[in-house]
Amino acid sequence: MGVLAFRDAAHLVSRTGLGAEWDSIKQLEGRERQNAVERVLLTPAAPLKPAPAMTPWFKLEPMRLNDMKSRNSAWSIAQNEGKRLQAWWVEQMLTTNTPFVERMTLFWHNHFTSSIQKTLQPSLLYQQNLLLRKHALGRFGDLLHAIARDPAMLVYLDCYQNTKDQPNENFARELLELFTVGRGQYRQSDVQAAAKAFTGWGVDNNTGKFVMRTAHHDGGGSAFLGKTGNFSGDDVINILLAHPRTAERITEKFWLAFVSNQPKPAVVSAWAQQFRQSGYDIKTLMRTLLNSEDFWAEQNRGTLVKSPVELVIGTVRMIPYPRESTPEMLNLCRLLGQELFDPPNVKGWTGGDNWINTQTLLVRNAYLAKLSRGNLNENVATNLKLPAAPDEQLVEWMLPVKPLKPLPTIPGARRLVRSLLLDPAFQVS
Amino acid sequence: MNRREFLGMAALLPLLGSLPIQALAAPGEAKGNQRILVLVKLAGGNDGLNTLVPYTDPLYYQYRPTIGIPKHQVLDIGQNYGLNPYLKALQPWWGKGNLAWVQGIGYPHPDLSHFRSIDIWETAVDSGSYADSGWLGTLLPGCKPGLHGIVIGDNSGPLLGKNCHTIAMESPQTFLSQIRLLEDMPPAGNNPVLAHLTNVQHQLYAAGEQLSTKLQRPVALGMNFSTSEIGRDLEAVAKMILSGVDATVYMVTLDGFDTHTSQANVQSNLLNHLAGALDSFAQAMQRGGRWNDVLLMTYSEFGRRVQENHGKGTDHGAASVQLVMGGKVQGGIYGDRPDLKQLDGDGNLQYTVDFRKVYGTVAKNWLGQRHPWEQFGVLPFV
Repeated sequence: MGVLAFRDAAHLVSRTGLGAEWDSIKQLEGRERQNAVERVLLTPAAPLKPAPAMTPWFKLEPMRLNDMKSRNSAWSIAQNEGKRLQAWWVEQMLTTNTPFVERMTLFWHNHFTSSIQKTLQPSLLYQQNLLLRKHALGRFGDLLHAIARDPAMLVYLDCYQNTKDQPNENFARELLELFTVGRGQYRQSDVQAAAKAFTGWGVDNNTGKFVMRTAHHDGGGSAFLGKTGNFSGDDVINILLAHPRTAERITEKFWLAFVSNQPKPAVVSAWAQQFRQSGYDIKTLMRTLLNSEDFWAEQNRGTLVKSPVELVIGTVRMIPYPRESTPEMLNLCRLLGQELFDPPNVKGWTGGDNWINTQTLLVRNAYLAKLSRGNLNENVATNLKLPAAPDEQLVEWMLPVKPLKPLPTIPGARRLVRSLLLDPAFQVS
Repeated sequence: MNRREFLGMAALLPLLGSLPIQALAAPGEAKGNQRILVLVKLAGGNDGLNTLVPYTDPLYYQYRPTIGIPKHQVLDIGQNYGLNPYLKALQPWWGKGNLAWVQGIGYPHPDLSHFRSIDIWETAVDSGSYADSGWLGTLLPGCKPGLHGIVIGDNSGPLLGKNCHTIAMESPQTFLSQIRLLEDMPPAGNNPVLAHLTNVQHQLYAAGEQLSTKLQRPVALGMNFSTSEIGRDLEAVAKMILSGVDATVYMVTLDGFDTHTSQANVQSNLLNHLAGALDSFAQAMQRGGRWNDVLLMTYSEFGRRVQENHGKGTDHGAASVQLVMGGKVQGGIYGDRPDLKQLDGDGNLQYTVDFRKVYGTVAKNWLGQRHPWEQFGVLPFV
């Protein structure tokens, strides 16, 4: 296991951060691989920006049950505060010193999806974001138990309306299908049994926090995934955590987010087993992944399409161009198909090749072209400088693979950087 | 010669504008008479009951004491239905047999959320399923190579798809300014991700070339188009079609149908704009000799609650009506009439026609493709 060459350090930064930041690459260059990975994994999270003011649940929710006028104003409040919350995360991602934490939080946001549009409760989505951050590199089991009690999730997947008399299967179904074991591992009767176990889990009207309404809980016995008993929601989660498919599905998702677009089933299965045996320690899984031959393999470089967030935010974190205003960055992410706190559906963003189609590529390209000309609606200085480095290193800095376009024949770093920015290889990492 | 040089030259050659369209077309491109689908999305959930009014049913007036369209105002079209009076501009097309209504359109287990329901309509999945691609995004790549769809607006739901070459534009002018920033890229084969990316870029570039060339001198429509926003969008579509742009599907959106309060004014205004724009569009197609090649279809995420609410509006509902127009359309009212006596548990109309029956009809009978949902069959409106 050798030391990291410049382009290896660039690979690690680009895959774990937001943009291949020059200084971060330089800090990792020449280190032992394992040592560099530990630096990424162990750097404590940078402080969070203060949250925007948001109307709490117990004020917003009753307005919805009122007359039309209150309902309309609750809606406008949710829309305005939702925009502010999105802006908060964008600015956090733009300025943080620990972009890895943001990336991990975004990974979990895309796994445990919830949306400001369905819930119309931005303050709950903010709380959920804090929860995802807290457990982002902790234990998956803790995260799963916590997310089942998370008010935004309880509302998003209707679990707060899941009662003994009127069971609602929405959360139970997605828990099985998307959050843990996946399709093919359960039957409708398992969904019903899980829904029953979560009856009475709700949101307290006065505090906006999780509440267990025992009167609405159905304590009767049922059969779930081959086991019988009077299951609580936590029992159901524990049974799902003991199922090997849960670890495999999460591990495969990690592979697709960090390694390549083609998971190797044998490797995924080995990592998954280790993940489960480690008590679902996410840091252990990431350590294995980032130290693996597959992560560093040449054929896996440039096989991940940069997400809209990586492209829009990461680019201005790495290259000294004036950035767009925050609302415009949000608008670009929307046009490119990734609205923070508002994934398209409970499955989240599919990502990968799906980020690229004729419409999004047009907008991606227009954004980068505009950026490179400094021709922006509202310029915001980013205090970055173009690194003084030989051309070959600038190429390795910006692209994970060889450029597809011929390099400019006229010398000059700015010209070179502009050409690399508009190279299709800049869209991948 | 690159595209910009070409356009620069074109500007110096006034005669170019008088060349027949075919001379400008890329080699191998389909010439003329290619069938076109125009989608008009009525966003927010259009109230079907006040669009195609069951005015002979006393229950309708019981459920709608203040917002029901009075008998003497509806435009009778037979079969105990009357058109909303603000759709008057569509009457001539109904008279010619170029307009069809599908009643009772919907799907099982209707979802009353705007977001989820429009997703179901645009991806054509069952109520509990999810898909990444739009229904046309899956279908169109099999129809032809090159450009598949053009969307006026920024949301191209039904046309979303990794291999569906769709352009979304605020207007042709904004598109032309964006596409100028894009370079052509020969498809790269070494890595599948970059192969996809470069292929998309190449397709996009080719579409840009085509549009720049054809819209350099768009044909004059020779008529005054309806001036509402939807009118301007459909005018842009009409110009693209008549200028020979080679896209199979065009899509425009009319937003604002979420009429929870004071529905009458809001919906009348929207339907008035819609009818005016559709009438202008049909006239333009007829004058340009393309009316027989065009099928226009509306869709909306849901209809509205049968019982009006206290705000003289209606809440989110289920089954609704869908409009289909075109030179080859067999006019009439299709599907079974939904029963106002048998509402679902939420007080909504129960569907009688699955929307995929209409989509399948369009796929099979209009676009000449396999029916993606054979089990639903077809309706003979085209």
